[in-house]
Amino acid sequence: MSAITIRQLTKRYGPVLAVDDVSFQVHPGKVTGFLGPNGSGKTTTLRILLGLADPTSGSATIGGLAYHQLPDPVRQVGAALDSNTFHPGRTAAQHLKIIATSTGLPRGRVAEVLDLVGLTSVAGRRVGGFSLGMRQRLSLAGALLGDPSVLVLDEPLNGLDPEGIRWIRGLLRSLAAEGRTVLVSSHLLSEVAQTVDDVVVLSNGHVIAETTLSELAERSSVIRARTTDAARLVGVLLAAGLKVRLVGGDAVEARGADAEVIGLAAAAAGLPILELSRQDEDLETLFFDLVHDTQEVMA
Amino acid sequence: MTATVRLVRAEVRKLFTTRAVPVSVVIATLLAVGSVLIDAAVAGKSGAPALGSAAETYQMLKLGGLSAVIMLIIGILAAGGEFRHRTIVPALLATPHRAQVFTVKVAVIAVFGAVFSAIVFGLGLGTVVATLAAHGIHHLPTQTGRLYLGSVIAGACFGMIGVALGALTRNTVGAIVAAIAWAIFVEQIILQAVVPSLEKWLPVGASLGLTNPPSSGVLPPAAAGLVLTGYAAALLLLASRTTIRRDVS
Repeated sequence: MSAITIRQLTKRYGPVLAVDDVSFQVHPGKVTGFLGPNGSGKTTTLRILLGLADPTSGSATIGGLAYHQLPDPVRQVGAALDSNTFHPGRTAAQHLKIIATSTGLPRGRVAEVLDLVGLTSVAGRRVGGFSLGMRQRLSLAGALLGDPSVLVLDEPLNGLDPEGIRWIRGLLRSLAAEGRTVLVSSHLLSEVAQTVDDVVVLSNGHVIAETTLSELAERSSVIRARTTDAARLVGVLLAAGLKVRLVGGDAVEARGADAEVIGLAAAAAGLPILELSRQDEDLETLFFDLVHDTQEVMA
Repeated sequence: MTATVRLVRAEVRKLFTTRAVPVSVVIATLLAVGSVLIDAAVAGKSGAPALGSAAETYQMLKLGGLSAVIMLIIGILAAGGEFRHRTIVPALLATPHRAQVFTVKVAVIAVFGAVFSAIVFGLGLGTVVATLAAHGIHHLPTQTGRLYLGSVIAGACFGMIGVALGALTRNTVGAIVAAIAWAIFVEQIILQAVVPSLEKWLPVGASLGLTNPPSSGVLPPAAAGLVLTGYAAALLLLASRTTIRRDVS
């Protein structure tokens, strides 16, 4: 059973369709990357999931229940939506104590999570003086306060230094290894590629991919063919149903294609192959292409 | 411990972990004691009633307006500040039942407003008693207790009105500017000039029936209390039906 289920979720703000018929599932024991460029509808989806906004239609549930139906939300779901939800005049410890008090969590838990996120030494300092990285850590501390089985983190790596990014990646992996459900959003695939198992990609309010990271990586395989008449080879390969593009005037790149198919198609068309090589596109380029293609189709 | 008790404790903690409350207490204390001492100093001079007269002691005890204004601001900061600093997000993640969160905040601010006003009036009254005693005067006018109670009720009501305005505007600065503009320009200048008989029925005008000694231009205390409570209830109802239900971004 999935821990988080988004079903035909739609959110309209006046004339703007921020989230359009989005459906996906997030499973326990895995880190799921929720990816998409800024403005693609990620945060809106997460806000609806967390009961902060109402959907226009569709549903977003955790363990089959809407957020407001959860009997003890802070112990079931830990969420860090952004790094700016603190009163600047309160200290880090005061901020967490307010959450702990309102939910009946033991006060000792505040010190534990501050230690876990590495903020013990600044626990008594006002949040107004915190760097973005420290605020991110405090947001995460708030999410972990109830020791929840589901974690929802919106762009948790923003503003963190390399050491912080490394630390949070390790933390997310260990939380998933404990059987927890971890949904982490990002506008950069490369940022979370080392951490996530599954990916859900959103673009213009639509889900354009819901798959595993390894499957996504397979799609990034690119065959490059150089020939005497590249423009003609593009036509031949397009006719064969491949996804190709002309590169530099004398070469053709086909994504997700088999080298043999390209070689045979070129031979059948009487085009000499001067070079046939496999090039692994980096994930970020693939992500960009994936999003870009969708946006072009929709434009 | 029930969820409501936990929420009450969290709201109280919120109040006492920002600077607004301690700063307000210090300002209110200084102004209350200071205004009594200034009134005492000018008593009997340039047309002011003599020290020890009922009129002069009532003048010294017009302290309810001060605590009401400060409670209005604290109420606005308590509710509007949740949106301004976006602490409403962790608050609603911890307790997704908005009506309950809002109700507890209103109740805590109302009780705090009553206690705060009681302390401010008490300090002012203590200063009045000490000042009069220093001049060998040992009696207070008959309406003193009523003014005390009126100030406590006004403090609670204006705290609740502040919470409603903060929730309606979701903006502390906007709500404070709007409240001051209403009190000074709309109510005191424009409406008083156009329809003077209406003034005593408006929020600031009604509060004078609670915080000031009886006079011809103000409502009797019981009516004033009901009118002011009615304004607080109407504004809170409006906020709970509109902005409290809206999406939090």
